[in-house]
Amino acid sequence: MNSIGTEPYIMLSMVLFLMGALGVLLRRNAILVFMSVELMLNSANLALVAFAQQWQQINGHVFVFFVMTVAAAEVAVGLALIVNIFRERQSINIDELNQMDG
Amino acid sequence: MEWLFLVVSFIAVVSAGMMLTRQNAVHSALFLIVNFGCVAFLYLMLDAPFLAMVQVAVYAGAIMVLFLFVIMLLGAEVTTDTSGQMRWASLVGAGVATLILIIFGFPIASGLLNNDGLEAYRGSAFVRVINAVPSGELALTTTFDALEDGVDNVTLENVEYNDERESVTSYLTLPAGEYTVTVTSEDGSEILYNESMILETKVSQSIIAYSNADNGVDVVTVADDLSPTDMGTMRLTLFNTVADTSVSLVDLGQYSTIRTLCENATCSTLIPHRVLIDELPVAETTSIDFDEGTYNIAFVDENNDVLRTLQDFDADRGAVETRVFVLEPGVDGAQAVHRAAVFSAVASPSFGSPEAIGQVLFIDYLLPVQLVGILLLVALIGVIVLARPDALAQAERRRVNRRRRVSRPLVSVLSQQTGADVLSGEYQAKLTEGSDDDPQAK
Repeated sequence: MNSIGTEPYIMLSMVLFLMGALGVLLRRNAILVFMSVELMLNSANLALVAFAQQWQQINGHVFVFFVMTVAAAEVAVGLALIVNIFRERQSINIDELNQMDG
Repeated sequence: MEWLFLVVSFIAVVSAGMMLTRQNAVHSALFLIVNFGCVAFLYLMLDAPFLAMVQVAVYAGAIMVLFLFVIMLLGAEVTTDTSGQMRWASLVGAGVATLILIIFGFPIASGLLNNDGLEAYRGSAFVRVINAVPSGELALTTTFDALEDGVDNVTLENVEYNDERESVTSYLTLPAGEYTVTVTSEDGSEILYNESMILETKVSQSIIAYSNADNGVDVVTVADDLSPTDMGTMRLTLFNTVADTSVSLVDLGQYSTIRTLCENATCSTLIPHRVLIDELPVAETTSIDFDEGTYNIAFVDENNDVLRTLQDFDADRGAVETRVFVLEPGVDGAQAVHRAAVFSAVASPSFGSPEAIGQVLFIDYLLPVQLVGILLLVALIGVIVLARPDALAQAERRRVNRRRRVSRPLVSVLSQQTGADVLSGEYQAKLTEGSDDDPQAK
């Protein structure tokens, strides 16, 4: 059992999630947006592991495992998309990706 | 512990902030690696060593290398943040930040996360019934009658005596709580045990029925120690039911002559031996740890006469075994023999270890694991399709081809075959005359 309890971990998780969300909203570089999404996924993982430890239930760890797998797949596909977009437009600024504007 | 957490979380937050504010994408990626490393360290502090290793290998290793690779491949290190739409994005950002603060802050501020909730939490308890009445005629029926509403009663039927056969009596998983446990003979005529019993979360218990000194049947409950064994050892738990003689457990050593000396169960011990447990207590459990290896152990009485040998007793690392020592009466005038009936169990892996995760992953979550595998396969195919160097050019060519096929149909073909301009009035006139070289007749 850890001596400091679950709350500090959840607070840290909240701060990291907040930073990730702000990164997604405020940065214009597609790769940085992607990295911010990874930061958010990681903070959610941290909360899951903290709760798994609190309740001594291993299921939280398994869920983190799945999140990591999905994140890996997402990064692979997303980066392939970014490479293709860059090839066509010579830019990965997401403000310029407005072809789908209704 | 506290200062360690503070230092690591400080580094994590600072590196996340640096990642968000750097203009150079390579620097951002490097700071994100630092952040992932800190999170891996926190996983270690949270009893999740396996996830910590996966975090370092997969996140900080594979995924971030992929990021750096793409950044450098594109030459997009220096980002150009346009500030045109920054104002509304900042407003939305502030709104989202407030929302997250409220959503996370409420349970933290109202103390919903503290450990008091653990008392309200009810997990699973594990219990099994061992019939160690060696006459072989008694079959037990055990009923677990939950005192709380909403929990079903559970009945275990036909639990019979197993002598030296390797028998794994599986544990029954029940919601923790208070139960009235009733043990009866098979037809329910004889009530052997009827008491209230509290099953605690994550505690394993055995209900053992055995013959007492007066040839009656006693029932006791004992807690089973299924915690992880010490490094490289196995745990043997003995339950002695033989009351009339004092029984000790001895180690006979690695003598090859033991096999011939003790061909049957009763051989006298002139062999030097080492006493492992002196005078096993009756109707209680005694545990002993063995280092990994093969042993020749024996149960002896106070005159050092061997009651029962266990030759080539294998001590497998991490194993847990329960043996109940009984006096089995001889059937049809045969001599009564002592036996050490085997009731195996499996030590639970420690929390957060690869074994524990593997067990849950491949037993409880087998279908999700398969689905995630399929997801990865689809992602793999998607990346291959996306990354074909001429994927865009090919798509463009295909589009043009399709249009050409549609936009120049019959007319040009007819022109080629007749050598005439089919769209001119001259050709129309020819058609109405019904000449022999009408191309439509072909």
